[in-house]
Amino acid sequence: MPNDSMFFYNLTLAMQSFKRAPTLYFLIILTLSIGVGVMCANLALVNSMASDPIPEKSANLFHINMNTWPDDQPPDEPMHILRYRDAMAVTKSNLTKGSAVFYASGVYARDAESSSMKRFDSEVRATTPGFFELTNAPFAYGSAFENSTGMEIVIGDELNQKIFAGKNSVGKTLELDGELLTIVGVLKPWLLRPLFYHPTEGRAFNLTDDIFAPLETAIDLGWSIHARSSSAVNYTGIEETRDKDVYYLQAWVELADINQKPALQSYLDNYSQQLKDAGEHPLAIKNELHNVNEWLKVNKVVDQKVLAFTLASVLFLSVCIFNASSLLLSRFHAAKFEVGLRRAIGASNRHMLVQGLTESVLLGFFTGVVALVLSWLFLKLSVQFLPRLANIAVLEPKLLVLGMLLALVTSIASALYPIYRANCYSISAELK
Amino acid sequence: MLNMNNISRIYQSDTIQTHALRDFSLRVNEGEFVAVTGPSGSGKSTFLNVAGLLDNFDRGQYELDGVSVQGLKDDELSRLRNEKIGFIFQNYNLIPDYSIFDNVDMPLRYRGFSASERKRRVEQALEKVGLASRFKYLPSQLSGGQQQRVAIARALAGEPKILLADEPTGNLDSLMARQVMEILHNLNNDGATIIMVTHDPDQAREVNRNVQVIDGQLADFKIYAPLGRSSEVKSKTISEAASAAVAEEVENA
Ligand SMILES: Nc1ncnc2c1ncn2[C@@H]1O[C@H](COP(=O)(O)OP(=O)(O)OP(=O)(O)O)[C@@H](O)[C@H]1O
Ligand SMILES: [Mg+2]
Repeated sequence: MPNDSMFFYNLTLAMQSFKRAPTLYFLIILTLSIGVGVMCANLALVNSMASDPIPEKSANLFHINMNTWPDDQPPDEPMHILRYRDAMAVTKSNLTKGSAVFYASGVYARDAESSSMKRFDSEVRATTPGFFELTNAPFAYGSAFENSTGMEIVIGDELNQKIFAGKNSVGKTLELDGELLTIVGVLKPWLLRPLFYHPTEGRAFNLTDDIFAPLETAIDLGWSIHARSSSAVNYTGIEETRDKDVYYLQAWVELADINQKPALQSYLDNYSQQLKDAGEHPLAIKNELHNVNEWLKVNKVVDQKVLAFTLASVLFLSVCIFNASSLLLSRFHAAKFEVGLRRAIGASNRHMLVQGLTESVLLGFFTGVVALVLSWLFLKLSVQFLPRLANIAVLEPKLLVLGMLLALVTSIASALYPIYRANCYSISAELK
Repeated sequence: MLNMNNISRIYQSDTIQTHALRDFSLRVNEGEFVAVTGPSGSGKSTFLNVAGLLDNFDRGQYELDGVSVQGLKDDELSRLRNEKIGFIFQNYNLIPDYSIFDNVDMPLRYRGFSASERKRRVEQALEKVGLASRFKYLPSQLSGGQQQRVAIARALAGEPKILLADEPTGNLDSLMARQVMEILHNLNNDGATIIMVTHDPDQAREVNRNVQVIDGQLADFKIYAPLGRSSEVKSKTISEAASAAVAEEVENA
């Protein structure tokens, strides 16, 4: 095939060209890959922050804010944390396909059968059983607990790795703050970026929890609240909170059909109105339903500083392109003679254009490889300085592809003008 | 083979206009070996560049091997250059870090030939210039005369209809120049049409026809070794030869 051989010929010519001016091409690759690398590292952050963690149903999951505070201090704004009885009222709605009511806690965990006394500081999600289906939690072994009561738990992959070396630990018993609970399910590695079910209090980039325990059990065991809570009354332990004005539970519901949202809204509004009619609170009826992406937006999960940095890296990348372009211009200027000669012996403008583009695509490929290594280093480095970025500073496969494409585009962009110039000279000018 | 009619080439710079060719007309028949002479700056190279489609022209008609070139697109012109024309430069214009083989192979790359066909043609072309054994050398490892022979092989490899040479021996000493001229004469005897710009009157004398360019125009015809039907004009005076040639020109038009 003549076209194939032309392609390989152009590749050889490109390699020859690199060999003729290795330092220059090294500088070009370095210049472009620093620009692309910074850009790519930044996009990795934005990608983690702005991505939809549960695209298959993010539009159908709603976080519930309610306005049931018993007096008008704090002011008239619905809160993202609910009272026990309000949250339970939400789960009773028959409009929803599923619901989850939970609070965050923490315990020290050890294998009850182990002779070692080593305990692991573990994050707990005390939740109703609907949580697992609502969040599509991936099970490696076993299944969810079926009731909000009972001494059963589900554990995450990381804790299972730490305590049971990743083996199937269903049926084993953990000692959690002195209580024995049986493992009924083990999750696969589960990354939610952002952690949509709990993005408040700056937790959007925390890992998923270590232990998932039944809500009523956790309350009965007095496992304390490790997140925002508000109370209008005094209480000594969480086990007393069920019928008190203590606000600490978050509620999510899943709608089979988002057209049911207005019905759900009026269900909540009716509930608030009834409370108000009974004189339980003086506030305006104001309940809010946010789907996943709305809720992430409300919580400003995408850091404005990172966005500002994106703008800066776009500018930086264009400076890199201009630099590479001027370096390439000198290279193509030096190659004028050869361009003239090739044209004289029968290469068309199109041949020379394809040759130039082949060279820049190859250059872009090398740039892409270096850029990805650099952006990996940038991310490592940024985690050194800002440890809270640890779970965001990751290069997903789609970013590797994006980085490569970006490198190709920048490489071609910086070669366009030089190629154009090189083909402007009249053929005979360089040939004597 | 080559037919130029009232060709004008004007170089326009900021301040001056140079009429490098003005109403330049010339016809060259198949199998002819034409020498182009004339003072420096008279337009010889310009004529050759226009003839070789390396340069465009501003006015006139130019027909090459039956193809009218004005109005052709870049890729059509490139194909004509590649298939019909072999160009030989005073400075050889070899690529210094390419082997002899790769230099000669270059025009064939734009033809879509298979690797074996290219190899056959390169070897054949190097054979013709007596350098078949040097195909692995770099240009710098050859003498000037040998380099020019490589350049001739490069021009021959595409089996062109016409060879255009701009002072091909200008950089060579007389012995090497002789070798190159012999190769050109051999090619001409085998049927190649050749147009050569030269400053050497001896070289101009030993070919079929010598045309002189003065101030961008054709000045004179001198016919030394007539070809074909112009064979009876062997011993005419210059003016007679000129008028005969003009008559021929008219007859051919
Ligand atoms: N690229 C150019 N731009 C402007 N003027 C040019 C250019 N090339 C040639 N000329 C002018 O055109 C005229 C003819 O030049 P050309 O090179 O054809 O002369 P020549 O007969 O080949 O001379 P020589 O024997 O010295 O090689 C000269 O006056 C020259 O200055
Ligand atoms: Mg000249």
